[in-house]
Amino acid sequence: MVNELFRNITKDFSIEFKNPSTLVTSLSFAAIATISISLVSRSYQFSPFIQSILLWLIMFFAGMNSLLHIFIREVDHGNELFLKLNSSAFSVYFSKLIFNCVLFLFLQIIITPLGIAFLQFSIQSQFFFIAIIMCGGFAISGTTTVLSAIVARSGGRGSLFTIISFPVLLPVLWVAISSTEKALGQSGFWDSESLVFLLAFSGMIIALSFLLIRFIWLDE
Amino acid sequence: MNIIKFVYILMPGSIIMTLLWAPPAAILGDTSRIIYYHVPLAWISVLAFIISGIYSGVYLLTIKKQQIKDLHEKSHISASLGLFFTILTVITGSIWAKVSWGSFWNWDPRETSIMVLLLIYISYISLHTTLSNNENQGKICASYLIIAAATVPFFVFIIPRLYPSLHPDPILNREIRIHLDSRMRLTLLCSLLSFTFLFFYLFQLRIRMHNIGRAIEEQRDEKV
Repeated sequence: MVNELFRNITKDFSIEFKNPSTLVTSLSFAAIATISISLVSRSYQFSPFIQSILLWLIMFFAGMNSLLHIFIREVDHGNELFLKLNSSAFSVYFSKLIFNCVLFLFLQIIITPLGIAFLQFSIQSQFFFIAIIMCGGFAISGTTTVLSAIVARSGGRGSLFTIISFPVLLPVLWVAISSTEKALGQSGFWDSESLVFLLAFSGMIIALSFLLIRFIWLDE
Repeated sequence: MNIIKFVYILMPGSIIMTLLWAPPAAILGDTSRIIYYHVPLAWISVLAFIISGIYSGVYLLTIKKQQIKDLHEKSHISASLGLFFTILTVITGSIWAKVSWGSFWNWDPRETSIMVLLLIYISYISLHTTLSNNENQGKICASYLIIAAATVPFFVFIIPRLYPSLHPDPILNREIRIHLDSRMRLTLLCSLLSFTFLFFYLFQLRIRMHNIGRAIEEQRDEKV
């Protein structure tokens, strides 16, 4: 089972490295959005609240493009039946989840320094900021993985994905934005309640997704 | 006798209690009577969403055996009724907010939670409509409804307790006590009960409508 999972992850990453068009599009979106905001605001110093909203919205919409793509790609390449016959629900779901988590983390690693450079983020509580970015990113990729499978199976595309995932992700964005605001504005801040909320939400969605993926993707 | 038909007695009874028997609240006066509609509407919205999640779970578990009929339709009906009652909850809440806090909408954690739930189930309706000609509609919609129902406790119980709220203490508070006058408490409980019966009555009615519609379609197909 672990070998199967490893094989699927390797396949997903090698396809992505061969043709990283989606990742490049997401990064371009993030860069253009950040630089445009910086340009029109003429280096205006936003409050930590506005900064955290901008950061998470840029991450969210950059992620929407790339997180959907993993299941859609399988449909587009005609691998659906092959995966159903050769892979277990466990390896299909967790390979896509790991891929999405790594992809979103990579996006965050690029977007956050862009924010620091162009939107003048001044992070007061560095450790909490890193923790909230990682937990928020994990919650977003964990939630969107199963939703991207739903969209891929329904034959829909980007707009349907945004419509069904945005409301489900709102509690994550809500908690992440308010916690990031505190990490940007207050030194030595630590709020474990928000981190526990994000991890609990991700855990619950991932557990449910694992149980549901056989019905959504494998036609069991 | 169908127990749900008690709604014919309970509903008028509780309306009379809410308007005539229950005393007005100390500061808010007669406007406080909206509590007897707002709270039960919010309760049956949550109930409807949880029932739709349960039906979806049972549908997915019994999909191959097909032991129970129309589970997908039942979960859809429950979710759409929940959506309808959530809209009514938002409307009654906004009226009460205007009277108590001076504006129709304040982005209070509870207001935000119910608004997000509303958006989640609007998304479900758009997913259901998109999949109307897809053979996997039942399975995909059931999966989404289970995920949606699983988020309900986060919105109803966790988020409103994480952030400071303008709302009064919830009924299920830390002391597990209802801070209401005894007549107000009894009226609220009667209202909760009668609205619960109303939900099941409407649920049954929608299922009958669905069955009649399907029977008409089948007869039409036979004629053709």
